[in-house]
Amino acid sequence: MVSLFSIPIFLVTFREALETAIIVSILLAFIKKTLYRSHRAIYRQLVRQVWLGTSAGLVITLIISGALIGVFYSLGVDQWGARELTYEGAFSLIASLIITAVGFALLRIGKMQDKWKAKIEQSLGEQARQRRTKRGTVMMWLEKYSMFMLPFVTVLREGIEAVVFIAGVSFSAPVTSVPIAVIVGLMVGTGVGLAMYKGGSHTKMKLFLVISTCFLYLVAAGLFSRAVWAFEQEIWQDMVGGGDIAELGSGPGTYDIDKSVWHVDCCSPFVNGGSGWGFLNAVLGWNNSATYGSVISYNVYWIVVITIFMILRYKEVKGHWPFSKKPTPTEEHIGRREESIKIAIGPGSDILCVEGSAAPYVKIEDNISRMV
Amino acid sequence: MNRGISGSPNSLLWIFLLLFGFCLSGHAQQPDAAHDIDSGVDDSALWHTYSDKTHVYKFNVSWVVASPDDPDADENSTKPVIGINGKWPLPLMEATVGDRVIVHLLNLLETEPTSLHFHGLYLRNETHMDGPVHVSQCTIPPGSSFTYNFTVNEPGIYWYHSHVHGQYPDGLRGPLIIHDPDDPFADKYSETRLLTVSDWYLDKMPDLIARFMSKANPTGAEPVPDLGLFNDEIDASIMVSPKTTYRFDVINMGAFASVYLWFEGHNMTIIMIDGIYTHPVEANMIYVTPGQRYSFLITTKADGSANFPFVGSMDLSFNPNITGWLIYDEDSNWPDAAKLDGSFNPVDDFDLTPLDDQPLFGEPNQVVHAFFNNITYVPPKVPTLYTVMSSQDLATNPVVYGTYTHSTVLQKDDIVEIVLNNLDPGIHPFHLHGHDFQVVWRSEDDAGTFQDSGITLSDFARVPMRRDTVFVHPNGNLVLRFKADNPGVWLFHCHIEWHVQSGLMATFVEAPLEIQQSLTIPPDHLDVCKKMGVPTGGNAAGNSEDFLNLDGENAPPNRLPDGYVTSAEWPSSDTESEDESNGYFMFTGPGIAALVFSCLTGILGVMTIAWYGFAEEVNDGEDKKVRIEGQQDGAGDVKLRDMPSGSTLVNDRRVHKLRRNETRAKLRGDGLRV
Repeated sequence: MVSLFSIPIFLVTFREALETAIIVSILLAFIKKTLYRSHRAIYRQLVRQVWLGTSAGLVITLIISGALIGVFYSLGVDQWGARELTYEGAFSLIASLIITAVGFALLRIGKMQDKWKAKIEQSLGEQARQRRTKRGTVMMWLEKYSMFMLPFVTVLREGIEAVVFIAGVSFSAPVTSVPIAVIVGLMVGTGVGLAMYKGGSHTKMKLFLVISTCFLYLVAAGLFSRAVWAFEQEIWQDMVGGGDIAELGSGPGTYDIDKSVWHVDCCSPFVNGGSGWGFLNAVLGWNNSATYGSVISYNVYWIVVITIFMILRYKEVKGHWPFSKKPTPTEEHIGRREESIKIAIGPGSDILCVEGSAAPYVKIEDNISRMV
Repeated sequence: MNRGISGSPNSLLWIFLLLFGFCLSGHAQQPDAAHDIDSGVDDSALWHTYSDKTHVYKFNVSWVVASPDDPDADENSTKPVIGINGKWPLPLMEATVGDRVIVHLLNLLETEPTSLHFHGLYLRNETHMDGPVHVSQCTIPPGSSFTYNFTVNEPGIYWYHSHVHGQYPDGLRGPLIIHDPDDPFADKYSETRLLTVSDWYLDKMPDLIARFMSKANPTGAEPVPDLGLFNDEIDASIMVSPKTTYRFDVINMGAFASVYLWFEGHNMTIIMIDGIYTHPVEANMIYVTPGQRYSFLITTKADGSANFPFVGSMDLSFNPNITGWLIYDEDSNWPDAAKLDGSFNPVDDFDLTPLDDQPLFGEPNQVVHAFFNNITYVPPKVPTLYTVMSSQDLATNPVVYGTYTHSTVLQKDDIVEIVLNNLDPGIHPFHLHGHDFQVVWRSEDDAGTFQDSGITLSDFARVPMRRDTVFVHPNGNLVLRFKADNPGVWLFHCHIEWHVQSGLMATFVEAPLEIQQSLTIPPDHLDVCKKMGVPTGGNAAGNSEDFLNLDGENAPPNRLPDGYVTSAEWPSSDTESEDESNGYFMFTGPGIAALVFSCLTGILGVMTIAWYGFAEEVNDGEDKKVRIEGQQDGAGDVKLRDMPSGSTLVNDRRVHKLRRNETRAKLRGDGLRV
């Protein structure tokens, strides 16, 4: 089970796929909003560009990721044999930190959308500005294919980010567990993105995202604990003299009795492929041989995560970080307000289509000056 | 010399103990001798004296600088070894059948206790001279002296060594030969040659033991020797003349390695094993375990122009070969040993028969089965012999000797049968103190237990081989018989010193009531106990009031908790002796608490995430950055959320709400269904 489907990899892929889906859906929404009625032909052309850009980005991402993982495994795995536990610990730790850092965004999907709306808009506005000043062939080309380039570059960037994340996560798991997890992650991520675009039930979506995030953090807690465990086990293995402890099963002498909190002679996630216990190890960080380090790190991880979520919520509700000064409306805030206006109202403002060019652009400056 | 004596803070105490020891031992020994280790040469005339059929040895046991691999060794380049009278290798002890041997031992080891065991001697009615500490005597503390005094009645090749656990591989082991005026083979040879063989460690035993007995050695892997030695040398040579028959006396004084031994170009004729004459048997190769001795005849070649190597191959996977040379001609070269053709094929000592043709003992009165299962020998608080001496009629009750001495009480003149099942995939050479034994059955490798093998009396040897140290095959079994005609406290143990250290040992208390009648413990023996703070009476727990109460007895550390056993390296536990109390390790209190607490934090964490996730999403763009607190509508700290964009403070909550709805509607109109 665990050897065929890595849950951390699934979750990371899912999250990155969802983010990509949001980007694409925002782009499509832009075009639909502005051109669907008035310029049907251009609309179709642009939609095609968006999909082409997205697909091209995805394909290149897949090639890069395949190459990267291939190189990593072919070079690495043999050499890691001797220090397998150290690498397992390091990668588990990296995976845990990555999931922790990116996981919470799933709970604020609206923010994610806002972020991308802002970015895309800024990008379009930038082009519009440049268009007025420069009319080089390169710019012309970029303008003409901006609905290709934008998703292409964005998907590529997000995709490579995802690959790096997946790589970080995947080396704590056997290589066989990667493909299915990635495919399912992509499918679910795209599916959720599609559901959002089509306007699925907000509550159901929310439930789904919350559950996913809970799993994400359970996995991360387990990985964190497992990282500490692996480091400790490596030290023990060195003490024993580098002999392969795994050969001794999970019986006496396979662990450091002085560091053991519990050790049960069943339920090992590693012996005989671990079966169900391996699944519990991947999802909940179960280990039949717990150490002080692994138990304490598990609990510390959760305490830190709980604290972070508390602080994030505090910031949301109160508008400032705990123990920092309450903000007053100053020049700075007014400045920031402008920015927020742009984000909030951007899509709804005028988008012009200039004759002779397929690229729409937004008269940002005008919008802002009119609104403020 | 005098390392640790001068300038050391405990030197005064040390000298005091030294003098105290001399006074009590009552021998006319010069106290100065203790300070004269390096000038042992001056003493050499005195260390062994012989008169009135009595040999008197003065052994000052101390650390010396000597190294078998480097004759120019100094303190920095080698470990110190335990020498006698400032010298190492140790002196040969010699006596003739019927002689009395007296050894005045003075322990100058500064920090380590010591003792001497005379391996293979029966010590009839002198069990208190046998030497194993906490069995027949207390340890001899630094600065103390101790006298061994016994008669030798058995001819043959023996050796003496420390019987403090783990000590003799640091050097305290030497040969002991009892000459036989009635040697039945006397006319077959003209000269004798002594050949000791031994593994050797470059690290000190206390360090090696610390590593071996550590939790970091879960498989109990024994330290691998660094060297093998013949006659305590790397490149040993033995001078021989052509056309001469020599009697070679071989002793394995090693700690761990058994040795295959062969002489290139020469045949051996075995005539004695462990002090028992045998019918002569031709051999190309013999296999000598630690503790075993072989005597054999070798007739040299007529042509004395070439020298011949002889090889000892230790049964180790690492650096196993030792080479020595039979030197016919000192000017000739020393040829390299040839690579062995085929596999090792030593004579099976089980096939040897004693020259006296002693038949198989009759049906045993007492059979000791399943001998070492799950009992780890731990020394008792009171040496077992002193428990015998102080327990009166209760001496026949094995309980008084404690749980972990693994004691069996034998009746005088009983025929005792030992059935030994080796559940380990290694060879173990077992040695019985105070006796030789008949080896009536020995299985091949992997034969399983004797009980399961279906072997019966008819399969036993009619005239069994006798010796005092015999090996049992890996995962095989062994049946021994002996007659309990030597009252005493005798150990039966594996002679791999690592296994002695880890407790592969058991005790026979033989005819304890006879011991009580015949034996008096000399005062100097009791005196070292006093110095060590060890009681000289009482049961194994030191209880001299209630001998059946073992509260507070020494016990081994708990076994490591069981678990999956996937490797043959782990001893399979015998079903009949499975002890639940030290069996499976389940969740203990702290483990349960840790698991519950971890589950609770996990659940709490998930709840926090869910709470955050379901909490109303506050949109940055709309309100977060402009949210301020209103203070003017008299309602105190009413929070004005969702400030509309671009405006200054708006205090009317209704306007504010309206604006917010507008903004949302606008967003939805974008086609982004939030």
